[in-house]
Amino acid sequence: MDIIYDIISGWANAGYLPSIFEHTFMIRGLLAAIIIGPLLGAMGTVVVTKKLSFFTQTIGNAAMSGVAIGLLFGEPIEGTYAGLYGFCLIVALLMTFVKNRSRLSNDTIIGVVLAQVLGIGIIMMIVVTSQFNIHQVEGILFGSLITLNDMDLITLAIASLVVGILFAYNFNRVMLGGFNPILAKARGLSPVLLEYVFVTLMTVVVVASLKLIGALLVLVLVVVPAAGAQNIVSNLRQFVWVSMIFSTISTTFGLLLSGLLPIPSGAVIVLVSSILFYGSLLLKPILSRGGISQGEV
Amino acid sequence: MNSSDGDNLLEVRDLSLTLGGNKILDKVNLDVKHGQIHALIGPNGAGKTTLIRSIMGGMPHKGTIRFLFGDNGRIGYVPQLLEFDHSVPITVFDFLFLMLRKSPLFLSRRRPMRARILEILAATECEHLIDRAVGYLSGGEFRRVLLAQALVPKPELLLLDEPASSVDEVGARHFEQMLIQLKQEHGHSILMVSHDMRTILRIADRVTAINRTVTYDGSTDNLNLSDLLVYVRPEMV
Repeated sequence: MDIIYDIISGWANAGYLPSIFEHTFMIRGLLAAIIIGPLLGAMGTVVVTKKLSFFTQTIGNAAMSGVAIGLLFGEPIEGTYAGLYGFCLIVALLMTFVKNRSRLSNDTIIGVVLAQVLGIGIIMMIVVTSQFNIHQVEGILFGSLITLNDMDLITLAIASLVVGILFAYNFNRVMLGGFNPILAKARGLSPVLLEYVFVTLMTVVVVASLKLIGALLVLVLVVVPAAGAQNIVSNLRQFVWVSMIFSTISTTFGLLLSGLLPIPSGAVIVLVSSILFYGSLLLKPILSRGGISQGEV
Repeated sequence: MNSSDGDNLLEVRDLSLTLGGNKILDKVNLDVKHGQIHALIGPNGAGKTTLIRSIMGGMPHKGTIRFLFGDNGRIGYVPQLLEFDHSVPITVFDFLFLMLRKSPLFLSRRRPMRARILEILAATECEHLIDRAVGYLSGGEFRRVLLAQALVPKPELLLLDEPASSVDEVGARHFEQMLIQLKQEHGHSILMVSHDMRTILRIADRVTAINRTVTYDGSTDNLNLSDLLVYVRPEMV
């Protein structure tokens, strides 16, 4: 890793990059932003299509409990990986199971679980903060570049590579299942199995990106770039690519601004992402006049 | 419409299905023959869509459903109502690509697949819709796209759940012509749910009426409109 840091800080010293990239933690952040941006953007298109926005927020909320559980079971504060991934995956899969086995609506199930993991998280955090520094936990909630270490970056890179390949491989099937499960079934697919696959992939990416974006703000980066893209695109291919571009611009520029301003990275990423969304909303009428082919109802 | 004899393509025997304590289907028997248009009729709530979905393999049931076209045959399906988010930017091209190809759409080149999809859409005369957003198609246009997708790869049996619903009179007659053409020129076998008795008398070879159980099963040869209405609106008899 040191070689990569030396090369990038060398570029900063030579004036090719802003001087803040002389700091190792900013380089780690930049690499994390470049890795996670396109992936969250691409997966956001399925989240928007399958209406899983608040499902993502629930995973973020579960992370609070996940960190606390990891700490309670003796994991080091720098990497509560088992607690985080374990608890968030259990919550995500349990929600999907309940959704497919009960007559409750998705919205109701998310409402119930969102509240439960939040309540459990608060109780756990009270237990944990009597033993540990609360600022470390805040890093998970709002994103903190300072706490992002080499292990986090390597975990993020591996998780993103594996998830990226599996996501691309299953994209057509997952998107068809999200668009209409009945037709997917008629094509011999199992929409329920595909949902479990996507939810697992989504959970891994959300958890891997928590230190950069923060548990409370990760929803925005999954949903807003895809929603912004939806304003200006006319087909599915454009939808995925524009969402990836919006998301990557949000993570990299947000990171750059967080290095210049005393604001957590997650909050600035949200700000950039929101500017892109409202910008696309303003562009929508112009592009529609330009002949986006949606025909007549 | 003359019915022609032929071998059975699908045999349903004593099919029963209960949902939430309510018996939806009770010992339903049904034979669909090769190369025929077979209509399924019945009042609202009679279990027609449930029967179609059971044949598709999506419902837990008692009794047997037997396909007599081997393991490699497939069923083409046009659903009754397709609920989806109309704001999702999926074009007709994207829609067919998702169903027909495994390579991820956003990483694939569009041009090589475009000719193939135009060819598929030509079967139901809707090539001009290829770049239109699915959410902005009229009911009739979307029905034609759905029928086109059901024909690829060539199915042994086509299941159509109210194919002409939400389509105007002209569109419905056009749809009828397409079904006749599919049967006569391409040898397709069709099982379709329909509420339009005139359409059934014009194009179907055989009709089965159900109201939880089979209330009529036979050729359409000697039937007239009032005969069929008895099975669709039993409360008016």
